Amino acid sequence: MTAAPARLPLAGLALAALAGAILLQAVRDLRYPRNEALRAGVLYVRSPEAMRRLTFGFQALAADVYWVRALQHYGGDRLDARAGAAGPRYQLLYPLLDIATTLDPYFNIAYRFGAIFLGEPSPGGPGRPDQAVALLRKGIAAMPQKWEYYHDVGFVYYWRLRDYQAAGHWFQRAAEQPGAPNWLPSLAASMLTRSNDRATARFMWQQLLKSEQAWIRTSAERSLLQIEALDQLDQLEAALRRVGAQGGGYAWSSLIARGLLRGVPLDPAGVPYELEPSTGRVHVGPQSPLWPMPDETVHPR
Amino acid sequence: MRVIRTVAVNVFRESVRDRVPYNLVAFAVLLMAASYILGQLTAGQDVKIIKDLGLAATSIFGLFIAIFIGIGLVSKEVERRSVYALLAKPLSRSQFILGKYLGLALTLTVNVAVMTVALYAVLAYMGWVQTPAMKAAAELPAVDPALLKAVLLITIELMVVTALALFFSTFSTPLLSAALTLGIYIAGRFNADLRHLDAIVNARPVVWLARAAYHVLPDFAAFDVKTEVVHGLPVPAGYLAATAGNGVLYIAALVAAATLIFSRRDFK
Amino acid sequence: MPAAIRTDALTKDYAVGFWRKRPYRALDALTLEVPAGEVFGFLGPNGAGKTTTLKLLMQLIFPTAGRAEILGRPAGDVATRRRIGYLPENPYFYDYLTAEELLQYFGRLFGYDAAERRRRIGALLDRVGIASERRLQLRKFSKGMLQRVGIAQALLNDPEVVFLDEPMSGLDPIGRRDVRALILELRDQGRTVFFSSHILADAEALCGRVAVVAAGRLAAAGRLSDLHAFQARGWELVVAGLTPEVIARLGAAAGRATEISPGRYTLELSLSQPPERLLPELTAAGGTLVSLNPLRDSLEDFFMQRVAAVGRGARGDTPGSGA
Repeated sequence: MTAAPARLPLAGLALAALAGAILLQAVRDLRYPRNEALRAGVLYVRSPEAMRRLTFGFQALAADVYWVRALQHYGGDRLDARAGAAGPRYQLLYPLLDIATTLDPYFNIAYRFGAIFLGEPSPGGPGRPDQAVALLRKGIAAMPQKWEYYHDVGFVYYWRLRDYQAAGHWFQRAAEQPGAPNWLPSLAASMLTRSNDRATARFMWQQLLKSEQAWIRTSAERSLLQIEALDQLDQLEAALRRVGAQGGGYAWSSLIARGLLRGVPLDPAGVPYELEPSTGRVHVGPQSPLWPMPDETVHPR
Repeated sequence: MRVIRTVAVNVFRESVRDRVPYNLVAFAVLLMAASYILGQLTAGQDVKIIKDLGLAATSIFGLFIAIFIGIGLVSKEVERRSVYALLAKPLSRSQFILGKYLGLALTLTVNVAVMTVALYAVLAYMGWVQTPAMKAAAELPAVDPALLKAVLLITIELMVVTALALFFSTFSTPLLSAALTLGIYIAGRFNADLRHLDAIVNARPVVWLARAAYHVLPDFAAFDVKTEVVHGLPVPAGYLAATAGNGVLYIAALVAAATLIFSRRDFK
Repeated sequence: MPAAIRTDALTKDYAVGFWRKRPYRALDALTLEVPAGEVFGFLGPNGAGKTTTLKLLMQLIFPTAGRAEILGRPAGDVATRRRIGYLPENPYFYDYLTAEELLQYFGRLFGYDAAERRRRIGALLDRVGIASERRLQLRKFSKGMLQRVGIAQALLNDPEVVFLDEPMSGLDPIGRRDVRALILELRDQGRTVFFSSHILADAEALCGRVAVVAAGRLAAAGRLSDLHAFQARGWELVVAGLTPEVIARLGAAAGRATEISPGRYTLELSLSQPPERLLPELTAAGGTLVSLNPLRDSLEDFFMQRVAAVGRGARGDTPGSGA
């Protein structure tokens, strides 16, 4: 008829405009990626308590949102780190996890994520084992019988803070909780006696390899590879010392010539090791995924 | 066209007679009171807070107007049957819808413009009152033209919400329209989180649904550059253009769909 | 001269019921022709489909089947709307506008410039009798005043065809008289007036032709005078100044007499008793005639008959243009 406009062109226009909008949105997000967590919080509300009051009734949902933001924040800063961007990072990781766990004190994943990544040194994390312990203490306050949290505190003391006595203590407490696995007491014991053992570390990480959480497993794999690298470093340095320095210093060629190596040695991640010609010390290269290696004091002489 | 403009001006006049401008007065009073109180309390941070407050209030007041007038744009006329006499005049149904939409868009633009002027006025006063030491310490000028970037995107965001409200108003009751519009707005604000829903939900179908929704729904959080302009962070011109274009396309889609629905409707 | 309004098997179904299975037929194959320059009454009881037909003509709703034409163009043609006017039933306009602003708004839609608008609006407000309320907001208008505004907006563009849906509704007797006079004036100006009503007396006073609908179907159409049932079946006289003896003496000639108050009687005469013969005797007896009205079937009775007839499949008087 007439006053009623033609339907088909109009429907086509509507769909075309919608498609265009979706496309433009995707293109814009690619060209100008935004880090939600950082913006949303140039966190106005730093206080978890205030946040709790603000979101009354929707705490669990808000906790979820903060958890997602924490992940985005971590992921985003991790990408920045890989790209070589300078500057302090992961500033908001602890506050976000803190708020998430205040809103939902039973937020298990948040505690365990914080345990592993808050203590991780730059560029993989903020390097704040104290924050990790604080977060885990909160978890223990909320769920005092969860052996995993005591274990994680022990882990932080062992792996990050190198406080073996404290680590052993916490492992012992973990062993006392219901459902604790039967390898915990022996772990606690070895912590308290020898405390400096690569085999113990390997054992602990192998236990974590069985975790349900994918990123805990990934972390464990990486750490196990690091321990393997430590073994290889020992062997390489020992071999170099045996062969001795040549005119310009220590060199791989001396080992290759003797048939001890087939080429420049690679670390378990496939990146070539670096050799200091003057001292004969070998290191994992900074561009390797295994870098930075755990503290040298774990590396016995 | 003349007919569309006539309808639009009528919508504007209705909003004026419906006391919408009172909200402008409320806004101005709020802003001035806040600036006075803050001036007494903090030294230096008050300019930033006023900028935050002014922009946030512009956005929120605008949102209320967009939703509450938008949902009634069409449904009120149909329900009260004033549309009977109107549609017997020489205007097509699409001209009617366009006119209604543009009228509310006009109302919102005027609203935002007045609030922006008020905000700049307050900021100018605060800048004038600042001591040279405070000025030096502040990173950004009080009267900062960069704020206009945020205002531009706020305006377009409001137009999209209006188009949403108009769309729903063509076929559902005001209450349902308000709920749907508000719901989509909130979902759109948390759009980025929909993309990462797999972090909290394990069911694959739900995650796929959320991801689809993320792509189809407008990302309202992208229109929010208040934080950037207040902190002096850059907002590239390309970003402004892309986001504005995104908004305009959504508006086109929604208004076209509204026209489509309205043009075949029986009026009881 | 081509018909001003024409419908051809115009049908409207509404889907009702939760599952939308049983359509409700509000209008069933209405075929009508309205010649130009006449006052056409569209009559029927409430719910018969009168308003549905008007809405279909104005394309406020869309037909399920059939067509409608106004001035030779399909109903809903935007250009034709320049030449027609429409008064909806129980009109509501915009609360917040004044009468004058409403007409200005519509005037702009027609494209009249400021001077033209002023001229037309002034004339119309005077004609419908609300000139003194022109600055008053419509929310303050009574129903009768709104009806007048409605008529004004319907005539703003000097329409060739005017559609009025229950134009007398809500008016007091003075208002009704005014509207009747207005409709006759429109006819004298050569316009076509199509109005719907459920009040027979209005149709009688104004229409050349009528169409009668009942239950969504056309029951009768044609000149009023041709439609038998609209003719009188008797007379009713009200007389004063008589005594019971006079009544008794008149006997059967007085028909059925009922006393209203001392001296005042209602006399019902049958068709075979023309009142002209009775009047001289009454006057001679000292009585005075107060009123004389034809007795007819009420519209309802008529419809009941027609509906029953329609229901039986019989079509009675042929629809379409009367002789």
